[in-house]
Amino acid sequence: MNPGDCAGSTDADLDLDRFLRGVERRALRMAEMACGQRDAAFDLVQDAMFAFVRRYADRPPAEWAPLFHRVLDNRLTDWHRRQRVRGRWMFSFFHDDEDDGDPLDAMADDAEPGPLGRLADDQAGTLLDAALRALPLRQRQAFLLRMWEGLDVADTAIAMRCSEGSVKTHLSRALARLRERLGEFQ
Amino acid sequence: MNDLDHEWLRRARHLLDRSTQVLDAESLARLNRARQAALGSRRRRLAPVWGGFAVAGASALALALAIGLQRSPPGPVASTPVGVDPSTVIATADATDDDLLAADDLEFFEDLDFYQWLDREGLVPTPSAPTPGRPL
Repeated sequence: MNPGDCAGSTDADLDLDRFLRGVERRALRMAEMACGQRDAAFDLVQDAMFAFVRRYADRPPAEWAPLFHRVLDNRLTDWHRRQRVRGRWMFSFFHDDEDDGDPLDAMADDAEPGPLGRLADDQAGTLLDAALRALPLRQRQAFLLRMWEGLDVADTAIAMRCSEGSVKTHLSRALARLRERLGEFQ
Repeated sequence: MNDLDHEWLRRARHLLDRSTQVLDAESLARLNRARQAALGSRRRRLAPVWGGFAVAGASALALALAIGLQRSPPGPVASTPVGVDPSTVIATADATDDDLLAADDLEFFEDLDFYQWLDREGLVPTPSAPTPGRPL
């Protein structure tokens, strides 16, 4: 059912529906690349939608894109932290580990390509998917938000809750690693 | 960025876009449900505000009507429900009043002891059979 089918829908509802409809597929792909699991990605996107509507629906539509991705990025970061805590709890049975630096910057996603990657109908898509998953979370988010979602540096900084300089640094490193791994993929 | 970088990025964007177009129907339906649920939560959150306005408006209207009715002078004819003949209602009301307030009935109850004494003494006249030719 579309909101337009509901008698109680307002223009704001329709605008929100249009916006979410426009970003939801890319959001699902970003979440899937971040967590490597389709079901977990759905949960993260749905949670982000609820939180975005609850907190930011009354903000001007021009601000919606960076704010939605800020909410989603927050959930992806939380998910990674929870996974890391769980991993450390298991790892601590065997090792004493020292935490040096921001773990999210150093964390690589080496999850298997997943169902969407396997469905890609050419090798280039699969290679790109795998290369993106292998990037650290912050580098991947900087790349996807800037180069795919089309946010400018300032909006990407809002979405990632960091400085514009950090965005440029993450993006530069992401591009270098992707080019190194993929070369001139066609 | 040079032209090679632009071409590389254009190619990457194309592949990423295509990856969103191969989502199966079940995934699209799941996204749609998630979006509708999020939008529904907003409608439910806004609904009590409008409901409050409606209740307040109805209360104000009821209060105004009550005050208006209290201040208006009593009319000679009571209002009747739609679809009911007013003459029927008035006649019924009159008959009821007559039954309750008839002076004869009040006198009967006031003289009840006298009629009981007549009954005990056997002085109550028995109705006689009507005489032919005599009007009833």
